Amino acid sequence: MAETARSRALRTVAGRPVYFDDEGFFWDPDDWSDEAAEALAREVGIDRLDEVQWRVLRFMRAHYAHHGRSPMNRELRVGTGLSLLELERLFPDGIKMGARRLAGLPNPQTCLD
Amino acid sequence: MRKLNVTVNGRPIEVVADEQQAVLLDIVREDLGLTGTKQSCDRKGQCGTCMVLVDGKAVLSCITRAGSLDGAEVTTIEGLGTPDRPNLVQQAFVLAGAVQCGFCIPGMIVTAEELLRTNDDPTRDEVKRALRRNLCRCTGYVKVIDAVQLAGRFLRGEVTPAELMPAEDAPPIGTSFPRPSAMAKATGTARFGADIRMPGALEIAVVRSPHAHAWIRGIDTALAETMPGVAGVMTARDIRGTNRLKYQVADRPILCDTKVRTLGDAVAIVAAETKAQAMAAAEAVRVDYEPIAVLGSPAAALADGAPRVHEDTPNLCYSQPIIKGDAAAAFAASAVEVTATFATQLVHQAPMEPEVSLAWMEGEGEDAELVVLGRSINIHLHMQTLQEALGFEAIRYEEPFAGGQFGIKVEIITEGIAGAAALHFNRPVRYVPTLAESMLITSKRHPFEVETRLAADADGRLTAMAMDITVDNGAYMSLGRVIVNRALHMLTSSYLVPNLAVTSRLVYTNNPWGSAARGAGPPQTHFALECAVDMLAEKMGIDPLEFRRRNSLRPGEAKATGHVVTEWPFPALCDAIEPAYRAALCDAAAAGTEGVVRRGVGLGAAAFGIAMPGDKSIGFVELDPDDGVTVYMAAGDPGEGNDSMISQLVASVLDLQPGRVRLRTRSTADTAASGPVSGSRATYMLGGAAVDAAQHLREAMDVVGARTYEAFVMAGVPIRYQGRRSTLETAPLDPVTGLGPSFEVQVFSVQMAEVEVNIETGETRVLKITSAADPGRIIHPGNVEGQLHGGMDMGIGFALREEYVPGKSRDWITFKFPSIRYATEMETILVETPRELGTLGSVGIGEMAMVSTAPAIANAIRHATGAVVGRLPATPERVRAALAAVPAREPELAGSAG
Repeated sequence: MAETARSRALRTVAGRPVYFDDEGFFWDPDDWSDEAAEALAREVGIDRLDEVQWRVLRFMRAHYAHHGRSPMNRELRVGTGLSLLELERLFPDGIKMGARRLAGLPNPQTCLD
Repeated sequence: MRKLNVTVNGRPIEVVADEQQAVLLDIVREDLGLTGTKQSCDRKGQCGTCMVLVDGKAVLSCITRAGSLDGAEVTTIEGLGTPDRPNLVQQAFVLAGAVQCGFCIPGMIVTAEELLRTNDDPTRDEVKRALRRNLCRCTGYVKVIDAVQLAGRFLRGEVTPAELMPAEDAPPIGTSFPRPSAMAKATGTARFGADIRMPGALEIAVVRSPHAHAWIRGIDTALAETMPGVAGVMTARDIRGTNRLKYQVADRPILCDTKVRTLGDAVAIVAAETKAQAMAAAEAVRVDYEPIAVLGSPAAALADGAPRVHEDTPNLCYSQPIIKGDAAAAFAASAVEVTATFATQLVHQAPMEPEVSLAWMEGEGEDAELVVLGRSINIHLHMQTLQEALGFEAIRYEEPFAGGQFGIKVEIITEGIAGAAALHFNRPVRYVPTLAESMLITSKRHPFEVETRLAADADGRLTAMAMDITVDNGAYMSLGRVIVNRALHMLTSSYLVPNLAVTSRLVYTNNPWGSAARGAGPPQTHFALECAVDMLAEKMGIDPLEFRRRNSLRPGEAKATGHVVTEWPFPALCDAIEPAYRAALCDAAAAGTEGVVRRGVGLGAAAFGIAMPGDKSIGFVELDPDDGVTVYMAAGDPGEGNDSMISQLVASVLDLQPGRVRLRTRSTADTAASGPVSGSRATYMLGGAAVDAAQHLREAMDVVGARTYEAFVMAGVPIRYQGRRSTLETAPLDPVTGLGPSFEVQVFSVQMAEVEVNIETGETRVLKITSAADPGRIIHPGNVEGQLHGGMDMGIGFALREEYVPGKSRDWITFKFPSIRYATEMETILVETPRELGTLGSVGIGEMAMVSTAPAIANAIRHATGAVVGRLPATPERVRAALAAVPAREPELAGSAG
């Protein structure tokens, strides 16, 4: 069994206990903070999030707050003024596993065990 | 070929058709686009969804040859009325609450129309006879019969539809307003997946494995690719993404690459200009299989030397115990105990609508988007699953109307195939499987085997329970772990059982894969528990209802997993059903104990958990320019009435008429990711988020001092408000003890079955089912009753008839789908205990409705005859075998009496 279930795991990030799912996404987007984003960024090799990266994360947060879902790539391009290639290059793990994870957006809810 | 002159819905038309091959269904659906006429049974005349009137007579259009139609006058559902001008029968179906998923309803209405034209005051038996060819999975037929009789009252002028419409100022909570979607379904204008026209789309056929377990050594598509109309053939290598549909484990391929693991596994996709061409080419694809030993049961899969279903995982793929207290000591100290083994069968959820998916590309370049249209009840999760499986990010998932699901559409079934084909061929595609294929490729209810030991002290209080549970997971994990854990969370149901020793094991086999099915785990274990409870009560000489009441959990006490409850209104539910129960016992006693036909009464209870720890939902309410509101949240409604629930809750908070609340619920493009419409969580979680959003809007209205859009804009105040609903605790079950936080609230049920058993033939006839239920505050009484009726009907099928046999169950007849012939009298007793944590006091109802039915029927059979039927379905053969074993079981029951 190569992958485990999408169960929750408690980790301490930026000094606070936070639940993550098995893919490393925040369970509750309200647990996110600027400090948590910076801490997670350091884990993937970004010493400090720069202005452009923050612009992407802020847009993602605002989009989720307004729509209750992650932005589609097209919305992300329009909202940030960046191309998909530029967006992918900004984060070592790309848009979904990189930017979305750092922005604290949760995976869609599944059936829980 | 022949030219036919036919009048359809008053319009003369000429049709040139193959008089031997073409059927009326093709003419109305394909030639005329009158898609209110449905099709479910592969044109075998089994389902009645295709009924139309021909010269005033209701006929099954799927088996009515075109050649017989010259000069005929045909009336379809569209010809009876429109949403703006519905006829009285259509209005009666809407007002009686007979419209749930709606897939069968046009056929029902057409048949009723024929009956009422000659008999406007039919008895219930006359209605049943008239509707004998029409199947329904949602309603248990109760409200359908009510609707036909109500239509008769309309026709006789006794009452008008307007008189039965709730008043405009009726309270949104507690009033059975017509469902928002009901009239579209009753007039045939609601579009289901197969109703959507896609000119120029490729049709899909899938090459499926005839083996339950085999290596794929080669796939030869050369011949198929040269056949007429074929656009191409694709295999696993043509899928760009992971090719795995992951729920808990990424083990289910869209197209199998190296191995097939169950009958019907998909191996290749053929796309062609017509369905017939695609199917012919699929037959020409040559697959070289190397068969492997088929693991047809958990025992076979766990045997030494058994091959693995998945090479990287043991066949024993999950286990979870519950160790609570000291069960061994408690058994030793108990006064009485019973032991028995109970087993439940593989069952198809049996929605009336076959599976269907459409897919196409919109836009170009970086704006290109794959649109997938399917029957999902969790569109955002399924969109994300497809993104990973297909390797394509820009996907929009949309849901048309869906003809029932009962758990089946918590899964991606056909969407992966359709999406992969649309991407690969860069053409719009339709994948509309037959019913037989739909049954073959969908998930099923997991079979359980439960060795049960239950004990009580001399006062008749439960002391200990041991269960050893084996679950046949089938070939793919899907939600297997979830189903096992749900069963464990609800294992002791309504009761306090202080000591538990429980083992469970989930086993991969080559059988059809199990997943969500109404109740999802608890119906299987409740069957074991509730039968054992009755056996123990009888052994102690205690009335079964009193035994249940005496052992009820109470606030401050703990469920199976140690979760302490704060509300537990179960004893009051026992009180509520008691008068009916006493009367039924008297009736059974009066029937006597002599003769071939014996009468019995049985009970089953349930405490059904809703909202797991860590659950969350989100939604939005927006004030519209006309001062109504729109709710934005993903909330499919394949029949339960979620549209009523959400609109009436929001209307209540905002003091609006429900009709002023609009819903955007079916597309990932404009909805919040609110989570699945499963696990009976819709009212509590989605409804809770909608109420929260509405309350925020209400607070803003108070600040603005006005309720109008114009005032909000003038004040510069936002018009859109987010709502959330989260459960409180997040820890999972302890892997060693099985203890941990559990469902946040419960819906309660006590059901009573009254049956007659022929002790010579073993035939069981259900005379009546009575269901007492407490779902908290009741939002829409008609919908609650409808869910109970449909659940009881499904429970009767589960108890007595239904079983999915791989390779043999291919249609509604072989599945033993419950027709109106088996429709029984049903009574509902609603108890309304508002819950502190509920959504405006409400918690939910849908799944619980069938959990208690099977044990109630089994207990009634035992009450009537003494026979313990431990394996479902309780077919006449099994009842006869159980009757033959009655004397032999006495020593076992008496064995460990204290």
